[in-house]
Formats: sequence, C-alpha cells, structure tokens
Amino acid sequence: MGLCDLMSMAKPNIEVRDKILARIGGKELANCFQCGKCTSGCTALKLLELKPHEIIKLVNLGFVDELPSSDIIWTCVTCLKCVQRCPQKASPYHVIIALRNLAVEREAKVPESYMKAVSQILETGQIDTYQKIVTRNMETVDRERLKLPKICQPKESFQIVFMKTMEEKTV
Amino acid sequence: MTKIGVYVCHCGINIAGVVDVQKVAEYAKTLPDVVVSKHYMYMCSEPGQRMIQEDIRNKELDRVVIATCSPRMHEETFRRAVAEAGLNPYLTEIVNLREQVSWAHTHEPEKATEKAKALVRMGIARSRLLEPLEKHRVSVEKSILVVGGGIAGIQTSLDLANAGFPVYLVEKTPSIGGRMAQLDKTFPTLDCSACILTPKMVDVVKHPNITTLTNAEVTDVKGFVGNYEVTILKKPRYVDEKKCVGCGICAQVCPVKVPDEFNENLTQKRAISIYSTHAVPNVAIINSNYCLRLKHGKGVCGKCQEACEAKAVEFEERPETIHAKVGGIVLAVGSEVFNASQMGELGYGRFKNVISNIEFERISDASGPTGGKILSPKNGETPKTIAFIQCVGSRDKRFHEYCCRVGCMVTLKQAILAREKIRENVKIYICYIDMRAFGKGYDEFYTRARDMDIDFVAGLPSEIHESSDGSLYFDVYDKGTNKLLQIRADLVVLGTGLVPNKDLADISALIHASRSADGFLLEAHPKLRPLETAAAGIFLAGACQGPKDIPDTVAQASGAAAKALDLLSRGEIELEPLKATVEEDLCSGCKICASICPFLAIEMTTDVIDGKERTKAGVIEAMCQGCGLCGSACPTGAIKIQQYTSTQVITQVDAAFAERCVKGGK
Repeated sequence: MGLCDLMSMAKPNIEVRDKILARIGGKELANCFQCGKCTSGCTALKLLELKPHEIIKLVNLGFVDELPSSDIIWTCVTCLKCVQRCPQKASPYHVIIALRNLAVEREAKVPESYMKAVSQILETGQIDTYQKIVTRNMETVDRERLKLPKICQPKESFQIVFMKTMEEKTV
Repeated sequence: MTKIGVYVCHCGINIAGVVDVQKVAEYAKTLPDVVVSKHYMYMCSEPGQRMIQEDIRNKELDRVVIATCSPRMHEETFRRAVAEAGLNPYLTEIVNLREQVSWAHTHEPEKATEKAKALVRMGIARSRLLEPLEKHRVSVEKSILVVGGGIAGIQTSLDLANAGFPVYLVEKTPSIGGRMAQLDKTFPTLDCSACILTPKMVDVVKHPNITTLTNAEVTDVKGFVGNYEVTILKKPRYVDEKKCVGCGICAQVCPVKVPDEFNENLTQKRAISIYSTHAVPNVAIINSNYCLRLKHGKGVCGKCQEACEAKAVEFEERPETIHAKVGGIVLAVGSEVFNASQMGELGYGRFKNVISNIEFERISDASGPTGGKILSPKNGETPKTIAFIQCVGSRDKRFHEYCCRVGCMVTLKQAILAREKIRENVKIYICYIDMRAFGKGYDEFYTRARDMDIDFVAGLPSEIHESSDGSLYFDVYDKGTNKLLQIRADLVVLGTGLVPNKDLADISALIHASRSADGFLLEAHPKLRPLETAAAGIFLAGACQGPKDIPDTVAQASGAAAKALDLLSRGEIELEPLKATVEEDLCSGCKICASICPFLAIEMTTDVIDGKERTKAGVIEAMCQGCGLCGSACPTGAIKIQQYTSTQVITQVDAAFAERCVKGGK
C-alpha cells in the first residue's frame, strides 16, 4: 500500500519527515513546484550526488531514512543563494541544516572537516586560520602591514556560550 | 400577537452534513411566538419557496426566519418570495448556518448544532422587532463613464454606444488603444494586433454617442447608482485637437529628444510628437517636462508653432475641467508589466540584451524602433540565440504569487515570431516551470511551437551572467533530462507578468472599490458577479480585475457593457431602504456624523425656533448607503439605521446568552 521506491524498496517515513518539517517550521516546503532554480544556481552542485530540488522532493514524499546518514547533506556550502531566489520560499537550505542537526542527534558520522572547523572556532573564535594575502605586485601582506589590530584568542566565556548553543541547537 | 415561521435549510449536505437540522427545527418550535418550524433540502428552490409562501398565506405568518446560507447569497431571493406571498419583504430574517456554522466547524457537529440553535434563537428575537419598510425609487441617468481606453474600454464603449447610450471614455495617455496597441501579433491566430485594433479605435472616436477624452483623468466621483457626478481633468496637449491634421512636421523641427514611452523607452522621440504611428486621435502632443518653450517661457524656441501650417500649436492651453452626470461607471484601467529590475539575479536593467516581453513586442512590431526586425538592443545585430525565461515576477512569493495567465502564450508567440523572422539562423530556448496553454486553440499553438525547432528546458536559471564578449550565459537544470545545462545567448527575453496598475490606489480611493490580496480590483462575487464591484453601478472590465489575455478581456468588456445596459435601460431603480434616519428631538447638532460619513449623505440645517438657532442633521436618502457609521458615532443616539436599530441588535445579543426564552425553561 502507498508509495514505494522500486529501486531500493524503501517506503516513506512520515514520522521522520514530520520531525524535519517541524524543525524548519512553516509549511513552505510543500510549495516547491520543482522549477529547478535552486539546482541551477547551486554553488556546491558539482559535489552533490543528489540535487537540491531532489532533496526537497525526497523530503516531501517522505524518503528521508537515508538522508541524515548520507554524505551529501554536508556538501552544501550554505551560500544561501537558493534561499534568496526560491520563488516559493521553499529553499532546500533549511532542510539541509535540519538534516545535519538530525544527523548529529543520531550520532551519525560527521565529516572530519566539520569537526575540525568546530574545534577551530572553539580555539581561535574563527572558522578558518587567518592567512596572508598576495597583491598584484606579488607582495605578501599580513595584518600587521595593513595596520589591522591583532587577533586575540577568544575568552573562556565564549567557549562556554558556544558549546551551550551547539547543544541547544542539536536537541 | 406575532406569528413567526422558522425554516431550516439543509443546503444539500452543506449544512445538514454537519448541523443536525432536524434538531434545530424542533428546537425552534419550543421558542415563543413560533407557530411553524420546518426543515427542507433546498429552501431556495422553487418548492422550498412555495412552502414558505403557503405558510404565510395559510398560517398568517407575520415574520419569517430562514436559517440558510449567507444573506449575501439568497437574502434577495427570499425577500422576493415573501413579498409575493403578501408580506412586507423586510420582515424576513436570514440566519447564516452555512458560512458561519457548517463550513466553519466541519469537525465539531455537536457544537455546531448548538451554535446553530443559538443563532436561530437570536434571529427569532430580532425578527420580532423588524419593521416593514418600503423601497426607495430613484431615476437613472442614461449615460455612462468608461475609465481606460484600452481594448476593454473600447469594447465596452462601443457596445454601450451602439445600444444608444451616451458614453464618456476617459484615457490617461494621449491615445486610446492601451497595451494591445503595443503588441505585434496576437496568439493563438497570429493576427496582427494593430490590424484588428485600429479599426475599433477609429470607430470609437467617430461614434456620435462616444465622447473620447484622451490625456485626461477622472479626479472626483460623487453620488450613487444611477446618479454619479464625475469630474474629469483634461490635461493640456498644447495642440488644438480640432486643427491638428497629424502631419508630423512639428516633430521634424523640434530640437528636443525625449524617451518614447510607447516604444518602452527603447528609442527617443521629440518633445512634440504624435504618440504612436496609429494613435487615435492622430494629433500631436507636447511633453511639457521637456519642451524648451514651456519650460523657459516666451521667446525661446517655438519652432513647432512656426512650422505648423494648420496653426494648431497653442502654448497657452490650460487644463480643462469637465463635469458629467452618469448613471454608472465601467472601470477598464488595465494592468502594467512587471518591472524585472526588481529581480536582480536576472540582470534586467544591468545587461542591455536582457529585455522584457513587452520590449520584445516593440522590437518585433513593424511600427517599432527596428521596423519589425528582431535585433539586439546592445549592438543592433540579429541574435543567433534567443533564450526566453518564464514566470518572471509571477508565481513568485517574493513578488506576485499569482500566475500571470498570459506569459506562456506570449513567449510561445514570440518564439514563433522569432523563428519566422530569423528563420533557421537562430536557436531558440524556452526555460519554463510548466507550460500553461489553457485557452481555445492554445494547446494547438503550443504544439505548433514545438514543431518549429524550439528547445524547451524544464527549469529556471538561478542567475544570468554577461561574458566579456557581451554574450549572456546561464546555468539551468533541466528536469526532463536530469542534467545541468549551460545556455549561452545573445538575447534573453524575460516572461514578465502582468501586475496591478499603480493608478488603482487612487481609483479605489475615489470610488470606494475594494482590492483583492493580489492588488487587483475586487469583484462582487468571484463566480456569480465577476463584472460588478460591491458598489452598485460600478462595473469591471479587463485586466484591472486580474491578469487577462485579449479574448478574455473582450469577453469581460462586453459582459460589463451588458451589465451596465441592465442599469441604463431602466428609467428608475429601486434602492434598499436600509438608510439612516435622524430623530430630530435627540439631535444636538454636533456634526460628528457629517464629518465621518463616507458618502457625504449628511446635511446640516439650521432653523430658528423661538428666536434660538438650532442646527440639526438630516440624511440625504439617495446618497445614504446604510453603512451605519453615523449611527455608531452619534453620541446622543439620535441616528437610527433602519433594519439595524440598536434595540434590534441588543435584543439579538441578549438572546445569544439567554436560554431563558425557551418555553418552560428555567
């Protein structure tokens, strides 16, 4: 009875789908009319096995069991182009973030680079190490030469707040 | 002794599917003064009405309470039936069990039934206090005002004028013709738009019953159905319409260049010029914002005046105010094309070769800037690749949620035109969400386009880029092939939709017309009264009511004309007697009512009684619409609204909370 994916014999999991929908709030996702605009402009598309509009369709139909454990949800670079341009305000970005949170909750494997990024933020307060810039004249310029203030280490209170927020967001 | 009859309607299963109608009818029987209480499948049907009429005659009912659908639906029907049976029609009370009960509480049948009982109880309580009223008769002015001279206004005006009624046709721009005059061909027959429109435009100005006022605006509307007093401001042309022969010599000598609105600003014209090649009236006009003489005064330029052999140029012309009395008003003010520069990602306004579909029309039109050759605006070359992008500004919650209803067919037509004009030397792509070809002959037209080597890509691009060689490119995901494609094109045409005319804000304020959520004018009923507004005597034609193509616009325009004829052909009409009345002894003459009445229906009069001046309010019955604002504002309670008196309403409220009026109750 009902829907079935003939390739994998998977059935929709409405419970998990509703969990995802509850996380993103609102019912906009159902408005997606598969115009493909999100996929047309996706920055990370070449890395994705599944296209953004397909993720929406899969969630709408309830084929969500595989998604949180899949690598593809981690490829999105959160450029938010799809959020800005979706004509139906149903962009895949919010779904992808919800799936990531679900993955953490299920203790699914999170790509190493993400964990690195988290520890980087904890230690330095930044998502990346700061780098020197090479100008057109092949001069190497650093912050000091540009007379920018030195970057200080984050305070302990930041780390506490950061960890607390992380916990809240994933629950 | 009041004798009340109560009738509960099932409305098929609309009411009876939720509300236990039998229980409601039985409950009504227990209430005082109720001598008969019945329920029936369709109260509004002929046997239902007959049942009420027989009871009025046989049981001598003097009040009728009908628990049925909204009074907006059938109050008139039941009042007529009651009147036929010899009872004053205003002794009928409608209780709304459909919109306010069964449709609102589908999942709670028991509570819904209790609410239905309460509403019936309230209706019965109010019905006892109803008073017999007589309809008010007013004469109808046998002429009409049509606002907007596009194809909708033209069709309405011609239909009404041919039926013998004087028409005032007011058009804002210097020529009638509207949007249709800007189009090259029309779908799905590819008729030349100008060829089918211009004869009608000429018919309008030549018609003895039509007064065509171009370059004019309606500035004031007063009065009521059958008796509107309108003020029209005719802006100066600075050219005498009667003398000008339309030779165009003035434009040849004029030194000032101005953007050409008719050509969507793709070209320039002169400060004095004729609006378009097939303008009607074919008379020049001076753009006062640019004309050197009008800006700097006497002694400057004036070349057109010297060159004009007909001596038609008149720099001293002043605006003219025209007053007219009309029986009704047809609004045919049309729509505008979505301005795609709001949608930054598509590059409209930044990239010269990204154009809107109305600009494509002008480029494709033989009277347009390129003489009908399809050339890129940037370099004037014939494009080798044209890409059309659909649903720009429409079906988009950031801009307009609705479907523009013309974009798909416009693009198919333009793609076919491009194929016919540039032949096999152009590649054509259409990027779309879904192709909506719903009208007569439309899907056949779609098939025709598919046979013409036009590539359809099922998906929208996210953004358009311009490469260094000036060509445009974009990535687009195609649902059909499940592939991400890149399209490189010389010309990108955006399928921009129709949006509400910005003048609608002024117009709706002028005549108290409501607008729907999409911004277009609101019809009185979406299915059964699509050509009328809620205000009596004001009708709708064309795209001001919602986006429409030409066939639909013309059909609606003729329909609005028929509705207007229904009004104009009567010598007199009956107005609802639901008016405000002033009890003079209570009136303190504070004038609050006069200051808030939206229909200017309150008149203050001053009499001298016993040497003392006394100011009192009075209601001009014909102007009063019975809205009730004055009644609620009156501090002394001197103003009563017939059929909605304070006692009637308060009794109804009391009944809502009182089970005690049940016979034998506690």
